[in-house]
Amino acid sequence: MNLADWLRERLGLEALDHVIEKKRVPVHRHTFWYYWGGMTLFLFGVQVATGILLVLYYRPSADEAYESVRFLMTQVSFGWLIRSIHSWSANLLVGAAMIHMFSAFMLKSYRRPREVTWLTGMGLFVLCLAFGFSGYLLPWNQLAFFATKVGTDIMGSVPLVGPFLARLLRGGDQITGGTLTRFFGFHVAILPLCMTALLGIHLFLVQWHGMSVPPGAEQPVAAPKQEMKFVPDFLLRDLVGWLAALGALALLAALFPWELGLKADPYAFAPAGIKPEWYFGYMFQTLRMIPSRVLGIEGELLGIVGFGLGALVWALVPFLDAPDGRGPRARFWRVVGVLAMLYVVVFTLLVYRGGPS
Amino acid sequence: MRALRRLLFLAGALLLAAAPARAVVDSCVECHRGLDDPRLKAPTAGFPHDIHAERGLTCAACHGGDPADPDPSAMDPEKGFKGAPTRAQIAPLCASCHADAAFMKRYNPRPYVFSMAEWQTSVHAKLAARGDAKVATCTSCHGVHGIRPPKDPASPVFKTNVPRTCAKCHNAGYMKGHPVRTDQFALYSKSVHGVALLEKGDVSAPACNDCHGNHGAAPPGVKDVTMVCGTCHGREAELFEGSRMKAGLDAMGKPGCVTCHGNHGVQHPTDAMLSAAPGGTCAGCHRPGSVAEQGTSAIVASFRGLQGSLSTADSLLQLAEVRGMETAPGRGNLKEAQDALVGVRAGLHSFDPKQIGAVLAEGAGLSRKATGYGREALRDWHNRRLGMVLSLVVILILIGLVVAKIRQIEN
Repeated sequence: MNLADWLRERLGLEALDHVIEKKRVPVHRHTFWYYWGGMTLFLFGVQVATGILLVLYYRPSADEAYESVRFLMTQVSFGWLIRSIHSWSANLLVGAAMIHMFSAFMLKSYRRPREVTWLTGMGLFVLCLAFGFSGYLLPWNQLAFFATKVGTDIMGSVPLVGPFLARLLRGGDQITGGTLTRFFGFHVAILPLCMTALLGIHLFLVQWHGMSVPPGAEQPVAAPKQEMKFVPDFLLRDLVGWLAALGALALLAALFPWELGLKADPYAFAPAGIKPEWYFGYMFQTLRMIPSRVLGIEGELLGIVGFGLGALVWALVPFLDAPDGRGPRARFWRVVGVLAMLYVVVFTLLVYRGGPS
Repeated sequence: MRALRRLLFLAGALLLAAAPARAVVDSCVECHRGLDDPRLKAPTAGFPHDIHAERGLTCAACHGGDPADPDPSAMDPEKGFKGAPTRAQIAPLCASCHADAAFMKRYNPRPYVFSMAEWQTSVHAKLAARGDAKVATCTSCHGVHGIRPPKDPASPVFKTNVPRTCAKCHNAGYMKGHPVRTDQFALYSKSVHGVALLEKGDVSAPACNDCHGNHGAAPPGVKDVTMVCGTCHGREAELFEGSRMKAGLDAMGKPGCVTCHGNHGVQHPTDAMLSAAPGGTCAGCHRPGSVAEQGTSAIVASFRGLQGSLSTADSLLQLAEVRGMETAPGRGNLKEAQDALVGVRAGLHSFDPKQIGAVLAEGAGLSRKATGYGREALRDWHNRRLGMVLSLVVILILIGLVVAKIRQIEN
């Protein structure tokens, strides 16, 4: 008995073999969009691997954080590469997650029985944003410090729970070394725990229900199924995408190494042109453009409540859309999806084109 | 009845106790405010804002008399009325309070105590003692009947106002007939000190009184110049004090510092000054080809060499930064080397080639480190590119292999 057989007998790998053998991926004109879930998962894996390496050197205190990142970037072999890949991969991860989410929306993959898959996906997307927000502060540089200040100030404006939320995040009224330690805790303990649990459920549900076929691509039951085996056909295609992503990361890390900037100084003036990471850009730009008062209501408050309601509707769309994905109601939600994508793209671009402030 | 009388008495006592105290009226201000003669009326306009009035002093504190008396009899000499002091009486009058430490402590726990002895060392006091009526006394600088404390920006002796206050008298018109220069303000206002103080509002820059003194104002003597400049430029003065240059200048009767740098019009020293060639500061005394000129030339060459290597290091680090490389340690070395260059500039005041050489060598060592870091950063940048190209080649090969495998499976 060789080692593989020995393990197979003890770990019950036959069941896994069975699942792998049975797993199929539908083939139709929208199959391309199926790869984005795997891409997001791959980039998350890159984040985990590089994050573990970073944590070996990172010291989460206001006195040492910046210096430890500088040490990592200048003294540790390939430290610059690990940090740059971690930072770039974080951005690509959010981008891939967005593409995955919007493609699932447009292909109506959330229809019965995949409502919970959609909800866990939404949760995972929020966790990705939380990872980005908490990780951005960790190098403790000037831009991150003030961007976090602006971000937590905005959270403080959320009705009812805002002040509590802002204090919970900051660990006080101001951004301090305590906030940094707290963000580190969120970034490496609390969020990964939530992510692992939610990701486990999400992947299980994807496996359980199989891939959703969009309404326009459904075939008559009698017709031969157009599909490919997950292993190796789909996985090999996934691998091509992952290798391409790895190449893109190598290119970005070498050509545009992630800057360290100046060490955070709470007493310095906020640097000019502070803007959040691009994936918060559309919200930031919206809040900048809302008049200070709309119909007697504070503009910022209105914007925040609007985002909250928008996210709620977005999460509940499996229950609002037509169950079969056809008809006027389905068309309406398709138009909503297109408008949402246009809004995100246009408002994100406005941040970088110096849109109205 | 007796009880009623008692009650009335008690009510009367209560009413008296409750009546407001009659406001104290200063008859000097009341009367002078209504006078037509502007000379007599003017003091009442400024005095309410005077620091003395704010501290509760009245006109009588300086002029005597009885401010409680509403009639002209308030100015009766028998009531201590002294009238306006003569110019010669002003300093002793001010000193009667300001030189009294116990009195001044009533208003300030850490008071400035005026010294008549110091005042008498001033050129102003000496000329006044000889009967010169045009020299400054307390009120010439501090004002009168509206005096503000020196820390008040409205005060004529607030740091940034001092040069113009001095220039009110030290100008060609007022000083006509006095053997004193009158171009100081014009020179000072264009000097490095004047620009810093008057244009940039940098109150750490010296005003007239920082070099000449205030109450004991006098031109610094030849021997004192180094001491005067040394109060701020301590390192340079200390090195100069122990130098051969000082002994040489002393022997020639020339003052330190100002012989090379000038006085009122002192400019920001530039490295171009350091040259015995025509146009350089050293050329003012040292002939071309002299031993001193040769020594200076050797120092200048090393100095320029350090400047050049700093410039090279800076360029390399800048290039590395533009290419996105982290250069902080190299920048740290460069900063230290630049500090060493500043140290060399200060060290030049020792006029000792060995001492200057030691600082130059230290700077050169740090500059080499910074240059080395810059070169290493650029080498690293090249290596990263190479690594990126190699990794992309490997990735492309892998993609090709996977695609080939897919094709193979499909076929």
